[in-house]
Amino acid sequence: MSLDDQQFMRYSRHLLMDDIGEAGQLKLLNAHVLIVGLGGLGCPVSLYLAAAGIGRLSLCDPDRVELSNLQRQVLYTPEDCGDFKVDCAAKALQALNSETQVSAFNYELSTGGAADGSAQVLASDYDLVVDCTDNLAARHLMNRHCVERKIGFVSASAIGWEGQLVAFDFGHNQNPCFSCIIPENTAEPTMNCGNSGVVGPVLGAMGSLQATTVIRMLLGYFAQHGEMQRYDGKAGRWFNLQAQAQEGCGVCAAP
Amino acid sequence: MINILFFGRLGDFAKGVPSTIQANTPQEIRDLLAVDFPALAKELSEPQVLVSVNQMIVGWDQQLMDGSEVAFLPPVTGG
Repeated sequence: MSLDDQQFMRYSRHLLMDDIGEAGQLKLLNAHVLIVGLGGLGCPVSLYLAAAGIGRLSLCDPDRVELSNLQRQVLYTPEDCGDFKVDCAAKALQALNSETQVSAFNYELSTGGAADGSAQVLASDYDLVVDCTDNLAARHLMNRHCVERKIGFVSASAIGWEGQLVAFDFGHNQNPCFSCIIPENTAEPTMNCGNSGVVGPVLGAMGSLQATTVIRMLLGYFAQHGEMQRYDGKAGRWFNLQAQAQEGCGVCAAP
Repeated sequence: MINILFFGRLGDFAKGVPSTIQANTPQEIRDLLAVDFPALAKELSEPQVLVSVNQMIVGWDQQLMDGSEVAFLPPVTGG
């Protein structure tokens, strides 16, 4: 398989780079990525991945677009209000890059039970899962799935001025996993974006970092399994941390 | 002595907190701070607050060595 003339033009800025080139672009074109959550993080993640030429994107989010989303969820317009986010996102991403195959699941990924559609969403063979959700139950379900399938998991979140990203390459590492950092039975904190607010571009920064991490992992340049990056947008400060395997973790079976 | 850092919005609750403290575990730091900084101690007791020692994520019972840097990071969960 090789690129056609249109693809040579479209992806020329990747092809100019020795460490991407045609072989790297073909890897991106052959990749299948699941994005869970099409809010403030999922919008930039899906836009950059579609533009980069990821071959297949599956989108999962049960919510419909609301007026209060438009301050930060850059895929949507006022005309989209009331429609499912995944349908609006799929339309916008297809307009951006018709080569990318987009699947839309307006399901909630939560308990993993048959009733919530999780099984159907997770049935495909993804190369990587991107967590753009706002709740711990979905995060833990994705973490478990990625550990079991030995695939990449790129998780991010944001609130107020702050962002967090942590990524795992389970294709090459067994542990630690997300549950080693925040165990499965942990309660949700009092503060969330709905009651405390969030600065839109902080989500943009973290989403862009997630998309970059996805591309790095697909191209084989990711070597920071379990590293967490924290961003304080008000102070303009980054802080990196390393997760450690927790003895007896019930998910990644750390020794 | 232990060097202590409060990341992000925790810094808003940590004004006036000394940058070093004598303690054996992060839990002990939180208990000591509760005396003079109850609002900060309450924030530190929220679920999903992360603690690191020399940039390694640890539990609240981690034994600390003299000169360690302990950072406290508030929960970030939205998307």
